[in-house]
Amino acid sequence: MPRNLLIAAITGALTCATPSSATAQAVDRAHTIVIVVGALASQPIPTLVHDRWNQDAADLLFLRLARLGPTMMTAGDKGFEPQLAKSWSRRDSLTLIFNLDPRARWHDGQPVTAKDVVFTFGLFRDPKIDPQHALLLRSVASVNAEGEHRVIIRFTHYYPEQLYDATYQVQPLPAHLVDTIPPNLLGSSDFARHPIGNGPFVWDSLAPAEKLTLDASPNYFLGAPAIQRVIFLKASDPDVQVNMLLSGTADAIENVAPVSNIPRFASMPNLRIVQVPSFTIGYLLFNQRDRKDRSKPHPILSDSLVRRALLLGLDRPAMLRSALGAMGAVPYGPVPLISWIRDPDSPPARYDTTQARALLASRGWTDHDGDSVVDRDGKPLELELNVPTTSAVRMQLALETQQFLSHIGVRIILRTSDGPTWNSRRNQHDFDIDASSSGLDPSPSGLMQSWSCLGLDGINVGAACDPRVDSLMERAIAAKGNPRPLWFAAIRRIEEDAPAAFMYSLTNAFVVHRRFEHVNIRPDGWWAALGEWTVNEKR
Amino acid sequence: MTRWLVRRIAQALVTLLIVSVLLFFIIRLTPGDPLSRLTGDRPISPAAVAQLKHLYGLDQPLLVQFSAWVRALAHGDLGVSIAQGRDVTTLLAERLPASLLLGGVVLLLNFTVGLAFGVWQAKRHNQLPDRVLGAISLTAYATPSFLLGLLLAGLLSVHWHIFPPCCLRDPLATDDGSLAGALDVLHHLVLPVATLSIVSMAATMRQQRGAMIEALKLDCVRTARAKGLTSGAVTWHAWRNALFPVLTLFGLWLPLLVTGSVFVESVFAWPGLGLLAYDAISGRDYPVLMGTSLLVALVVVLGGFLTDLAYATLDPRVRYR
Amino acid sequence: MRLTAHGVLRDLWQRPKGRAGLVVLAVIVLLSLAGPAFVQDPAAIPDLEHGRFLAPGAAHFFGTDYVGRDVLARVIWGSRISLGVSALSVLLAMTAGTAVGLVAGYLGGWADAAIMRFVDAALAVPRLFLLLLLVAVWEHIPLVALIIVIGATGWFGTARMVRGEVLRLREQDYVRAAEALGGRRRRIIFHHLLPNTLGPVVVTATLAIGDVILVEAGLSFLGLGVQPPTASWGSMIQDAKSTLFTAPWTGAFPGLAIVLTVLAVNLVGEALQDSLTHSPA
Repeated sequence: MPRNLLIAAITGALTCATPSSATAQAVDRAHTIVIVVGALASQPIPTLVHDRWNQDAADLLFLRLARLGPTMMTAGDKGFEPQLAKSWSRRDSLTLIFNLDPRARWHDGQPVTAKDVVFTFGLFRDPKIDPQHALLLRSVASVNAEGEHRVIIRFTHYYPEQLYDATYQVQPLPAHLVDTIPPNLLGSSDFARHPIGNGPFVWDSLAPAEKLTLDASPNYFLGAPAIQRVIFLKASDPDVQVNMLLSGTADAIENVAPVSNIPRFASMPNLRIVQVPSFTIGYLLFNQRDRKDRSKPHPILSDSLVRRALLLGLDRPAMLRSALGAMGAVPYGPVPLISWIRDPDSPPARYDTTQARALLASRGWTDHDGDSVVDRDGKPLELELNVPTTSAVRMQLALETQQFLSHIGVRIILRTSDGPTWNSRRNQHDFDIDASSSGLDPSPSGLMQSWSCLGLDGINVGAACDPRVDSLMERAIAAKGNPRPLWFAAIRRIEEDAPAAFMYSLTNAFVVHRRFEHVNIRPDGWWAALGEWTVNEKR
Repeated sequence: MTRWLVRRIAQALVTLLIVSVLLFFIIRLTPGDPLSRLTGDRPISPAAVAQLKHLYGLDQPLLVQFSAWVRALAHGDLGVSIAQGRDVTTLLAERLPASLLLGGVVLLLNFTVGLAFGVWQAKRHNQLPDRVLGAISLTAYATPSFLLGLLLAGLLSVHWHIFPPCCLRDPLATDDGSLAGALDVLHHLVLPVATLSIVSMAATMRQQRGAMIEALKLDCVRTARAKGLTSGAVTWHAWRNALFPVLTLFGLWLPLLVTGSVFVESVFAWPGLGLLAYDAISGRDYPVLMGTSLLVALVVVLGGFLTDLAYATLDPRVRYR
Repeated sequence: MRLTAHGVLRDLWQRPKGRAGLVVLAVIVLLSLAGPAFVQDPAAIPDLEHGRFLAPGAAHFFGTDYVGRDVLARVIWGSRISLGVSALSVLLAMTAGTAVGLVAGYLGGWADAAIMRFVDAALAVPRLFLLLLLVAVWEHIPLVALIIVIGATGWFGTARMVRGEVLRLREQDYVRAAEALGGRRRRIIFHHLLPNTLGPVVVTATLAIGDVILVEAGLSFLGLGVQPPTASWGSMIQDAKSTLFTAPWTGAFPGLAIVLTVLAVNLVGEALQDSLTHSPA
């Protein structure tokens, strides 16, 4: 009886968990890459994407008109590489013309046409369907087709990132397959379950609890990939991910966490560590408004000199090395190291407890009662730090912050909670200091929402609002000439105002099996260039 | 007996009903934002958040959400996952087999090997083998299960490459239902089962040992021994008396069938319901949380019922007066 | 043997198991009471640059952790939280569970049905949800309340266990005889039923001690209860999870502390069980 039960359970497990569309034919191990990911793409359709995992899969299936070059330069028309569009030109300062590559095909064999592009822009620009993209594309006035392979995009006004907006934000969908599906039913459609794209890889099958399998598109017009099959394997626990790589089950992992594992990988002869700069920055955000009543200033943190003192009281380079090793650097303002608006001549403020104490004292914060915590009007300088326990790096930085600030007489109380609770507290402005992390877009224009008066009702939860910063950023975003100096000036003002202590600009550590060569992991879409890697079977 | 059965089943159904209502409100009232997973660390516009809220009905008053949920449930619809955009019933069906397999094998091991060890220990009460086995099982139990899992994975799969460190099957395997496929699943099953069995077996062994020691002292057992019954027959006689706590334990552990163990499923990336529930709680995916909790509640209540049924069958004198 | 604290203790001391367990427990408790006076500040980060992940040595007997804190200091300080929370909440849970189980099993009928369906319902609502809810309503929860909450959500299984035992014992000849002879309810419950149900309770309690130490760490993770940098054995182990192979000492010592405690409690528990069922020493 027990044996029957066991067999029944096993057959049950095999038959029920089998994806119905598994049509796997044999592909040799060397040309298959198994990538461990924290979550699987469930609907990698560009209009439905809200998370990184879906975006990563969508990037392999759906091309953009053009992609960013290695400099990640988003302003101007020069820094881009052809994808669906083989070339582009300007009719005037408001009009871009894209010439589609006539070789481009959907995975069902149909040609990719201007009609597809016009149709998809229609979806993305409809605020009822996709409010996020509609907002990003608000400067696009019209999108029209001229014949089969030419697309004309007109803008409402001139700005340096027109080409970026026209290419980065939109991944064309096959109009002939999607235009019959009502947009609100797209997510539950057959197309979402089995997407037909135009990229280097073709959808094979999804076993939602286990893995997503994509196969190389043999007729891919930019050259068939050397990697025959991509398997995204799901494992959310970082320790399992490490085990999977070390035991040879997987060929690549996305983030080595914690960094103390890097030496373990470095000692393995068949593994390669790949450092990829990222658009993620981490910072301790100061709440400049009263926690209970947003109309009032924060009793302590509305004072820019106090904020500056806190910043100076942190040995940020040492903290960074302890939590991230070599995988990052202290940023100047909310600017990732890889961004083109990073000012190479402005170093972040140095750790200086003497000056920090002096600044505090100048605002009346001194230790009157000898309890080694500074106070003013009988109240100690005590602040609550909101930290997600789900982020090991930020937890560690929070502990160290507490220690460092205690040396300048500031008492930090940690308020830890898991991700979702931490996030609600942050969104409800229920914190003095928040251990934040933001994954930014390659374009700096998004900074406007986070650090200007415009974002006060939205994502600018710390309520940093300086009209001069606003005006500098507005001018930078619409600059006719070189926008860099204007951005530098805006960032300098932000840094001086200290709305946050900017702690790290993250460099991601990937680990990849050495048989893969020409490994190119893109900062703006990690696996998007997988089709260009090569395989050395001898390794 | 029939009257008792009818009454007992009715009670179970009412309990389940109350629990499901409770669960709905408890889950909705837990702090945390179900959209935080979707929006993540990426700055997203308030309009986009509002649209997502509307899409999942999260902008409605709680009571409206509740009545919508009840109406859907009446049609067997558990809603759509916020994180994955897929039907919860489909998700549960996908995950159930893996958990049944893991939990089933572990329960089976516990209630065969675990019980046998317990009885064996009781018969050698306070002798060396009893003490050694007791110390080993207790040490294993006191070790946190996720550490034990990581230790086993680190040694047996990373270091010696004997067993795979994760997953239900080889990522490159094609699911053809062949014997090789079944063996592959068995191979992957070893470490999770070992971890979960090691930590749970201690409890089974100790309960069985304790109950058996008591039972061996009972008058009826002494009488049996005095009558000159064989050692095996005496053991059998005593064992029937020592089954009560073990049966209760079985009832309490029945949910292992549908949840495996969250820790163990997580440490071995075992694609079962425990991991689904864990992901759902980390993302506050309300519909999935509700679905998994209901399933667990069902099995918990079933466990209570089966335990009572077993008492009644085992000792006809335990009548329901 | 008299059923007084002194009497029980003396009886335990006369049993080898009891004596061994008591000695180990006494040492652990003594360390947690007096130890903190002799070790470093458990939250201090003396050297962020070079003091992290130091292997055990003369300066740090148990090594240092991921930010450079002394593991020995944290094990000793952590014992206060871990022992306090686990001992008190398990005591609470076992008392409640035994009482409820006894009453339900002995009374039977509708009272039994009502109580046990409540227990079923309570078991069916995952403890995690109840505790998460608590974060929402009670932000800065004091330690005492935390102990009560862990205790109050930990007795359901014990109640089922005890009730099962009572159902069986109630039909044993000696209990029937006592009832037939007109024995008072209280006497039957306390002299016949209670001592004989203690077996499974002691086992459950022993195992629960180790569980609660980890539950406490799980709660810290959710933001309930003890907040960092306060040390507890459970949170130390959780922190050490990812460095099990690169810096084993960070997890090994708190792990050992838990195992030792559980083993000692188990020895005492077994001796107590022998003592109450009048087995010869």
